[in-house]
Amino acid sequence: MSTLDRLRELLARDFDLAPERLQPDATLESLEIDSLRMIEILFTVEDEFAISVPAEHNELKSRLKTLGDLAAYLDGLVAAKAQGAN
Amino acid sequence: MKPVAVTGMGVVSPVGADCASFFASLVAGRSGVRHLQTRFAERLGTRIGAPAAFDAARHFAPPRLRMLDRVSQLALVAVGEALAQSRGALDGIDPRRAGAFVGTGMGGAETSDDGYYTLYGEDSDRVKPFSVLMAMNNAAAAWIGLDHKLEGPNLTYSTACSSSTVAVGEAARRIASGECDVMIAGGAEAPLTFGTLKAWEALKALAIEDPADPAASCKPFSKDRSGLVLGEGSAMLVLEDASRARARGATVLAEITGYGLSTDAIHITRPSIDGQARAMRLALDDAGVDAEAIGYINAHGTGTPANDPVETAAIRQAFGARAASIPVSSTKSMHGHLLGAAGALELVASILAMREKVLPPTTHLRVPDPECDLDYVPNVARRVEVLRAVMSNSFAFGGTNAVLVARV
Repeated sequence: MSTLDRLRELLARDFDLAPERLQPDATLESLEIDSLRMIEILFTVEDEFAISVPAEHNELKSRLKTLGDLAAYLDGLVAAKAQGAN
Repeated sequence: MKPVAVTGMGVVSPVGADCASFFASLVAGRSGVRHLQTRFAERLGTRIGAPAAFDAARHFAPPRLRMLDRVSQLALVAVGEALAQSRGALDGIDPRRAGAFVGTGMGGAETSDDGYYTLYGEDSDRVKPFSVLMAMNNAAAAWIGLDHKLEGPNLTYSTACSSSTVAVGEAARRIASGECDVMIAGGAEAPLTFGTLKAWEALKALAIEDPADPAASCKPFSKDRSGLVLGEGSAMLVLEDASRARARGATVLAEITGYGLSTDAIHITRPSIDGQARAMRLALDDAGVDAEAIGYINAHGTGTPANDPVETAAIRQAFGARAASIPVSSTKSMHGHLLGAAGALELVASILAMREKVLPPTTHLRVPDPECDLDYVPNVARRVEVLRAVMSNSFAFGGTNAVLVARV
């Protein structure tokens, strides 16, 4: 399963977001994911994906505008971790 | 000073999750005290408490639920009932003249307990991201203000066991002074966590379990009383400028007419006859009535060896000869001690007693104590012909004594 699909599953399950709303181009703002909700999502993602999200929330806020952006960012962290493990 | 009307009341308690079932249980003498199933319960010296009849998942979707400590969940549900009963207290208000005052002793104790368990018990650093927002003492009041767009004063009072009596009294003053039109006021407490229970156990304040009947472990004013039983829940009231309430056709359930506040300043826990009597006298003076006017007192009545004789003597000091003929009961014998929420819950019981003309009993009162010699409405509820004014007492560790007088 792709990172985007895993993320969509997690958001639908734990954050009460209807799956049909979770399109890659959906903005985080349109999904009512504010900075507080983002902190919780990243906390959950850390557990689910066994990764560690660096403490750069302000930077993330300006960089990540859509669900697709978030999935791509997490992909990077997963890949970096896999590389580190190799 | 403007008269202060109560136009709505809401309750989540160990003996009922709304006002009607709560009061029906009190009249029936039903106890909410039971064996606890909490984490590590097997390590509790006294494994009893009075949990609220409450399923949070029925009231909140998961994302919301994860932002709310149990204490806030209880508070919001009680507010929901109170506002529904008020039939539109917030319709057409100026939000800047409406607020929320909440009393709580321990705030989000469960969140703190969980966080420490993660850190010390599981040896993990994964403390939940909303721990601060959930554990902070003013969370319940803040959510009430947010949910209902109340832009006036939003305050949290923490004076241990008198917290919510203070919250209601202070809110009533905001309305009486003309500063606010509508206030939501009350208390909430969720102290049935392992850490909190252990702390109370260490203070030797908790009742010993009654071996024959655990539900009968809290025995206020009885010679065989052994301490208090912790309970959880919330009680909330909608207070309004009485003339506004009547103008909009609301049912006025009662008026808050008197509020008395005193501080013992003698000892951190030991209660004072003088301090308690002074708060009662101040409440009577504030209500502009004499001792004869009061037809029922809901006692603080914790069931600790220290409280009950001191409160008895204080009622005698405040009421003089009249004390012998005023019915006094401790409903804590059934719902336990809700700490910061106790006063508001007992005020609701007192107001419902006036409306129903039935006095809830002091249950489990079997062994007379010569030091406790008032009419405690023992064991069986009592129907009365007339009940126009009531008093509700709350006395706290730290010495803050708060007393309210209400009338119909």
